[in-house]
Amino acid sequence: MRGLGAGGLIAIAFGMGSYYATDHFGLFSGVNALLGGLALAVATAHALSRLRGASAPPFRGILLRGLLGIAAALLLAAALERAAHHSGVQFDWSFEKKFALSEATLAALADLPCPLTASLYYEDFDPRSRSTRLLLRTMAQTGDLHFDERRLDDHPDEENRYAIGTSNTIVFRCGDEFQTVERPTEGAIYEALYRFRSLESRTLYVSRGAGEGDLERTDALGFSGLSQALVTEGYRLRELVTASVSEIPEEADAVVVIAPARPLPGEAIDALHRYLERGGRLVAFVEPGRESGIEDLLARWGIRSKSAVLIDPASGPVDGGAPGVNPIAFHYATSHPATRGLDSSRMTFFRGARSFELRKPRPGDKLSGVVFASPRSWLDPDIAVLSSKVAPERPPEAAEDYHPIAVAATYPREGKQARIVAFGDSDFASNRHLRTLYNLDLVLNSIHWALEREPDITLRPKTSVATMQFPLPLANTLRMFQGLGLLLPELLLIAAAILWLRRRSA
Amino acid sequence: MRPLLALVRKEITVLFGSPMAYLSLTLVVLVTALIFFDHLRLYNQILFLYASSTLGGFETGTVPDYINLRDSVFFPVMDTLGITLIGVVPLVTMRVFAEERARGTDEFLVTTHLSAGQIVLAKFAVTYFFVALMMAASFVYPAMAIHQGGIGAENLLAIFLGLLLHAIALASIGLACSAFASSQLVAAVAGWAVGFVLWDFGWASPFLGQTANRFLDAISLHLRYGSFAEGIVSLANLAYFVGLALVAAAVARFSFDWRRVAG
Repeated sequence: MRGLGAGGLIAIAFGMGSYYATDHFGLFSGVNALLGGLALAVATAHALSRLRGASAPPFRGILLRGLLGIAAALLLAAALERAAHHSGVQFDWSFEKKFALSEATLAALADLPCPLTASLYYEDFDPRSRSTRLLLRTMAQTGDLHFDERRLDDHPDEENRYAIGTSNTIVFRCGDEFQTVERPTEGAIYEALYRFRSLESRTLYVSRGAGEGDLERTDALGFSGLSQALVTEGYRLRELVTASVSEIPEEADAVVVIAPARPLPGEAIDALHRYLERGGRLVAFVEPGRESGIEDLLARWGIRSKSAVLIDPASGPVDGGAPGVNPIAFHYATSHPATRGLDSSRMTFFRGARSFELRKPRPGDKLSGVVFASPRSWLDPDIAVLSSKVAPERPPEAAEDYHPIAVAATYPREGKQARIVAFGDSDFASNRHLRTLYNLDLVLNSIHWALEREPDITLRPKTSVATMQFPLPLANTLRMFQGLGLLLPELLLIAAAILWLRRRSA
Repeated sequence: MRPLLALVRKEITVLFGSPMAYLSLTLVVLVTALIFFDHLRLYNQILFLYASSTLGGFETGTVPDYINLRDSVFFPVMDTLGITLIGVVPLVTMRVFAEERARGTDEFLVTTHLSAGQIVLAKFAVTYFFVALMMAASFVYPAMAIHQGGIGAENLLAIFLGLLLHAIALASIGLACSAFASSQLVAAVAGWAVGFVLWDFGWASPFLGQTANRFLDAISLHLRYGSFAEGIVSLANLAYFVGLALVAAAVARFSFDWRRVAG
């Protein structure tokens, strides 16, 4: 009977081992597990039947105490686990802190208009679903989400209904609405939740026709990412064709001008001026070396910018360019709502910028820099430095200062308050750089501020995580493999051999 | 206390005086290094393939997001190591009780001033120490290589903690099996069988309902271990591993009563 028990254990071990080796619970695994289990059950029953002496009171007591000990340990283990589970205490030690939910996500979960459910659609052995499952579990602990998991193969109808293209996709349902999130990160989930919220929509007019940044262009130089982010955050986008505009429409909550490459018609500039005088809102992106007329309009409102390149020696070279011409900013006006939450550890990245000088047009106007380069920054009038690979040298007359790269201003006019936000760069909001560092937060929060949507100002979770997609040079790896990976087992094996030989000769 | 320490000393001497201990250590360290290096080599090749075919360098979007150091190298290695440990740890634990029984030296132990609980405690503690040593030795090479890639010390610590707890859980199971077996081979095979069954119940999910599946998920080693690999250290998972060790120790303790009755 002991042989039967041992055989049963071997069969179970091989059955399960085959399952893990092949990722398939087939005939071999099934038969082995079944027969092994049966053999083990028969051997155990036989062993128990041999315990005739156990019926004697002294033995019965001994066995009972032992069994009670096991039962108590089981109960204690289950109670410990359940108590710990309900306490919800967990620490996120992951590299990107990807399971520590941001305040923005928590607020979005709490603000939903209806109960939220989520289904994780996965294929067996997709390693990414583990991370997603943990993220959903963390969200469920807030009490605002219920989630389940569904194998894609078992739900082909839902695959079509929700347009699921790949494993590791979450479908969120809130009332009759649903949102499908592929490649779920906290940032992507946050955006999906945001779309469930019933927002009061605002209308942005975006200027076109003078070589501005294109909101429909999807490559790295385009601004389709900004367009999507604005729509997600509750904005309706309309085109403002500057060639034919004589007046800004009344329904415009703000006008956005993204670095025109050619001069804007004078009528359009005048229309924008009149719009601001009526208490309108303007969000302008300007570039060094470009004079489109929008710079002059900004100057009329006290925001002057020299056509010079901001050089910040604190920033290193990017993509083989000259050091200092692509500033990484980490000085913010911390008291200004537009940069709330940004600090020296939450940087923003600009790709060739110009700076501003501020002068109030009227008493009562408030103009302030909100993002600044480092105190060693200076202005270089030579635009060619943008395409140079050599670090520019500061002439003695160029003053070092905290030069502002982004400014925000308010102007009381006609019982209303006009607002202007100006950025000395546009590339930082392009598809290539929008989600770099905290660029997206700076742009969206500034626009929210311009439209007096301060409650919506937040730091958004990242939609992509640092995926560590770089090679570890094989030469280094090989050295480490031979130095640590092989040397250590070799030494251990030598120790085992010496020990065995000593024992043998003893 | 003195007899307990004497027993601990004796267990350590026996363990480190056995070539099997060094062989197990060698096996785990070598297998981990080989698997890790192979994954790393493959990962580098795939990266260079993408970089050369698109001529786009390593900028964002050029390489699919699932090809990265963590998902393509570290996690698969840790998963493989988790299963490998199911095979190796019972080789370490098989002799702890079973050898004493086969040689008849367990009778001497019972006649000392030590209670069955203390004997179990001493043997479990020494085995845990050895398993911790084994994990540290096997982890040092992958950890140093990946640390170069910037995974972060905290994340590595979480992964090591998971690996250690997983190995300790397997050692607890192996010790409980060894406590009931007279033969080392049977102890090892029983350790493998229980370890394999507890590792992951994915095979049972098509045959069972949602509640049963949820229960099986809650007791499966793989899911608990996987959380640590992702960098999550949760009190519930820690409690699970502590509970498993407690139950295994209670089962091993019961084996002494069982012997008195069954002979």
